Amino acid sequence: MAKVKLKFRPALAITLIILGFFVFVPMISAFEFSIRTPAEGGYGWANYLWAIREEEFMYYIIRSTWLSGVTVLITLFVLVPTLTWLHLSNSKIRGLIDGLSLLPLVIPVVAFAVGAQIAFPEFVKNTVLELPFLYFVLALPYAYRALDIGLSAIPLKTITEAARSAGANWLRTITSVIVPVIRGSVMATIALTFALSLGEFTLTVLLHWDTFPTWVTYVAQENILGAIAISMMALIIPFVILTMVTLVIPERSIQRRK
Amino acid sequence: MTHKVIEEGAPKRGRAFLASFTKNFLPAAPLLLIVGFFFLFPIARLIHVSFLSNENTFTIDNFITATQEPYRTGFVNSIKIGLFSAAIAAIPGAIAAYFIETRGSSKLRRTIAVMNGVLANTGGIPLAFMFYAALGIQGQLTKILKFFGWDIYSGMFSLGSFIGLLIVYLYFQLPLMIIVFSPAIVSLRREWSEAARNLGASQLDYWLRIGIPLLFPSFIASFLLLFASGFSAYATANALTVGTLPLTPLQIGGLLDGNVSAAQLNLGKALGVVMILISACAVIPYLVIQRRSARWQK
Repeated sequence: MAKVKLKFRPALAITLIILGFFVFVPMISAFEFSIRTPAEGGYGWANYLWAIREEEFMYYIIRSTWLSGVTVLITLFVLVPTLTWLHLSNSKIRGLIDGLSLLPLVIPVVAFAVGAQIAFPEFVKNTVLELPFLYFVLALPYAYRALDIGLSAIPLKTITEAARSAGANWLRTITSVIVPVIRGSVMATIALTFALSLGEFTLTVLLHWDTFPTWVTYVAQENILGAIAISMMALIIPFVILTMVTLVIPERSIQRRK
Repeated sequence: MTHKVIEEGAPKRGRAFLASFTKNFLPAAPLLLIVGFFFLFPIARLIHVSFLSNENTFTIDNFITATQEPYRTGFVNSIKIGLFSAAIAAIPGAIAAYFIETRGSSKLRRTIAVMNGVLANTGGIPLAFMFYAALGIQGQLTKILKFFGWDIYSGMFSLGSFIGLLIVYLYFQLPLMIIVFSPAIVSLRREWSEAARNLGASQLDYWLRIGIPLLFPSFIASFLLLFASGFSAYATANALTVGTLPLTPLQIGGLLDGNVSAAQLNLGKALGVVMILISACAVIPYLVIQRRSARWQK
């Protein structure tokens, strides 16, 4: 019979209590504000209902979601084949691309925004589709590393050769063999790219685009409690989605390599 | 003779080059094109324009102005807030990472990892609201502290001041520290501490001679990344300060929006270039140390 180990670990408990205090006191304070109903006194969901009934609420949620979705698609379509190829071919430019993928960490987002504003031709500047490509760049260091770790951990060459000799073309090898094998890394990449795009503020606002995070700034000017309610949703929704995603992935695929 | 050999070799080399190009570069073309156009091109343009005067002639005046007031204070404040927020978050974050990674169950570690990912990315208006609600004049924590006899607003404190901003920055710096430092903890092998103990080392000996020297480079690397994060944070500072605290990212934002006018049109670009240089001083050593310690972190 398997014994359930339940040890009380004081050091961990103290750490979690201190961290929890620091994290949750501001969060709960803001939540308390967001459920206030000044008109009637007491508490209620009025601010949340107000926010959801706002016409722009759905508009910006949908807009931010599809922009983040496009970013995720660009990331996967570009990075998975490129990284697979880099791992298989031992290309001389692997070092160059490794370095390039980390470069966005060096550039402060504000400086990047200034560069983006002066560099792009009108036809790029005039379409909101420039945002997913710029978000892709911001997420690149993390996405690249997540996929790189996933591909290093599997016997890629053997798997690809097996798939190829069984008659699969390259597209099929990648979509139905490699991606499922590294699904842990793929999910991690999706989660972090999506979260980063959904919450991106600096670049978006400096390039004069409106998304969900920048819309909150306008709401704050007319209904502060409503804006707090929206902020709470913006914080809690990604957290819940991401927790579900990580807890659903089988543990084996994210475990550390031995 | 030699001449002839080269003549004959040239077309072959040309074809070989084409073949090697197809084999070595072509599959990377989509990534290189996107990164080139959407990242390297804007940065190159930024650097180029930062050296242009209003009449589009070459000048270094933008950089001279960038080192004068009020931009000098902006840089000093930004560097200070980067250094202080990193210094305050580094040790508690490292200790928390240690206890979470060594004592926590797998489910707990994964949940905390997700939470840290979300928290390290909070900023801007939502973060400002949370701290107004907790430590603002009408904040919950402010009221509790007042009840116990400590009125934090009796002096100069405000959330838009340097100290206020520093406290708020810790909210994303601490989770970031746990994220970047955890891999180093995970790679400390239990065998090493057991081996040390078998050789007669005490717990203290182990930490002084093995644990801390092994973790130190990663610790410094994490500190550098935290500095860069605090130094270049824009959204939170923008939400909390109302032009009261000069910070370089806000000054650039103001110049870009045209809220602030300057005699030199390209001053904002020069400030951006200086920011990149300062940030590079921290991030490049971070990347180098990471790469070196990755050798034994397997």
